[in-house]
Amino acid sequence: MARIALVTRGFMASLDERLCLESMGHKVALHADLARALDNILNDPPDLLMLEKGLAEGVELDIIRSLKENLQLAFLPILLVVERMELAVGLDWDAYAVDDILSAKATVEEVIARVELALARMRRVADNNPLTKLPGNSSILKTIQGVLDAGAPMAVGYVDIDNFKPYNDRYGFSRGDEVIRMLARILVNVVDEAAGEDGFVGHVGGDDFVFVVPLEAAERVCRETIRNFDRLIPLFLDEPDLEAGCFVAADRRGNRCEFPLTSVSIAVVVNADGRYSHYGEVAAVAAQLKKKVKAETGSAYLVDRRVADNGPPPA
Amino acid sequence: MTVSEERVQAIRHRLKEVQSLPTLPPIVSKLNRMVEDEEVTAEQLGRVIEKDQVLTSKLLKMVNSSFFGFPQRISTVSNAIVLLGFNVIKTLIVTSSIFEVMQESDVGLWEHSLGCATAAGILARRRGVKNPEEISTAGLIHDLGKIVVRSELPEDYARVQDLVAARQVAMREAELEVLGVGHGEIGGWLARQWNLPDRLVRPIEAHHHPETAGEFRELAAIVHFADILVRAVGFGFGGDPWVPPLDHEAWERIKFGRSVAREILAELDDKLLELQDFTMEIQRIGED
Repeated sequence: MARIALVTRGFMASLDERLCLESMGHKVALHADLARALDNILNDPPDLLMLEKGLAEGVELDIIRSLKENLQLAFLPILLVVERMELAVGLDWDAYAVDDILSAKATVEEVIARVELALARMRRVADNNPLTKLPGNSSILKTIQGVLDAGAPMAVGYVDIDNFKPYNDRYGFSRGDEVIRMLARILVNVVDEAAGEDGFVGHVGGDDFVFVVPLEAAERVCRETIRNFDRLIPLFLDEPDLEAGCFVAADRRGNRCEFPLTSVSIAVVVNADGRYSHYGEVAAVAAQLKKKVKAETGSAYLVDRRVADNGPPPA
Repeated sequence: MTVSEERVQAIRHRLKEVQSLPTLPPIVSKLNRMVEDEEVTAEQLGRVIEKDQVLTSKLLKMVNSSFFGFPQRISTVSNAIVLLGFNVIKTLIVTSSIFEVMQESDVGLWEHSLGCATAAGILARRRGVKNPEEISTAGLIHDLGKIVVRSELPEDYARVQDLVAARQVAMREAELEVLGVGHGEIGGWLARQWNLPDRLVRPIEAHHHPETAGEFRELAAIVHFADILVRAVGFGFGGDPWVPPLDHEAWERIKFGRSVAREILAELDDKLLELQDFTMEIQRIGED
């Protein structure tokens, strides 16, 4: 179910045609003038914009560009409706930053298919982190809330890299990106092997990740993630730092400072017996656990002990 | 440009198009069978992959490609597997191209490579080198150049073999005459083109003259000596029946006394015996 803004004069102008879209569960708002519709679009963004070419000659390209450059609307799929003749002439697709085109003579079936496809594509990519291609915040939130709503005994792990800032300062962003990608791939592979389709990995951003796995897989995921990370991280460090066993850097006052080498910390919140009902509670518990696990030297994990009284204390 | 330089340029150019190399069919069938088994882990697949020089170099090529974003970092199969995961490994296996017929010489070279990997690992551990697994990998893929020539330049490969037989010269010598360049350099070019780490590239290209390997001289010297050792004990077939000459500077670098030599040889014997079980198993699969 999506909210579709239709900015056309002739195309899909008949009520019958629009009803076909409505029958698919979508809500359609019809506008006849792009410049005037813009206000509506910006104030109350739709899920998809279908735009007939030539409705606002002169400002059309500017409007498309400003929509695409708007951070909140960057992922809004825009379908451009064009006459076949114009394709023969050729359009500058760098200027027409749209997501797909539709022939003005397209059948209703084709329109529906294109709309569904554009929406599906947006769901696939909109939220993904560009560096790791992992699902981002809204997917993470949705997944965790889904677990809470289902009352399933699941573990939510919060993963981040210790001393990532000194690493970035020392080696530069592009090598920092390598380390983030490394952790992302380790997590995905470990979660996949331990939990298969029941597992989820998301990338909050920067060096922060979240995984969700069935309770019984949680410890294994933590142990293997740490083992693999500790095994690979030396490949991303330079020999002198490895030998020194720390980063040596100057702090803001110019004092010599030693930072421990990069490691990984994992805080695991356990949801059993419907303990939590809201995402915010999980995040709050995670923040407390994180403080404790961060205090440990080297890579470490901590499973919320208030419930996990079975099993040994974390290493 | 001399004729020979032109020839070398042509070979380098040709290498740019090398997308895949042939793998021994029985290894691929064994892996395919493993992939279908749900209980099999990526680690277990890795242990078989690291016994094949072509699959190993393909896996390293993949993980070091810009697509995965770790260029020139990953030098061992086990580390590559941690990063690529089961599904990617599976794809690699399924898409591996296969020799139509397994030739005697293919099996021989494969056994030689495996033997060299084993010997290099033993020597590396003896010397307390930090990452012995990496030197094993270098030993395993040190003759990559021979495989490329055999699959991409089959006519030249035949001429090299003829020369080896007719004039009783070492393979490298015949290569220099026919191609204007040896298999070490050819393998090194390919490895570099595939973004493999210098720690692997340099020993591959310099395994006949390890002192030219710059900061990786020690690694190259170990691979050099492992190559000679495995030839000397007669495990596998490196393309000609002669033991390559020992580079004396390299030997000075890694030399050890008689009693240590005895221990090393005993350890090598044991490990090669184990390997033989595996190579026999693979050859049986090939005959099925």
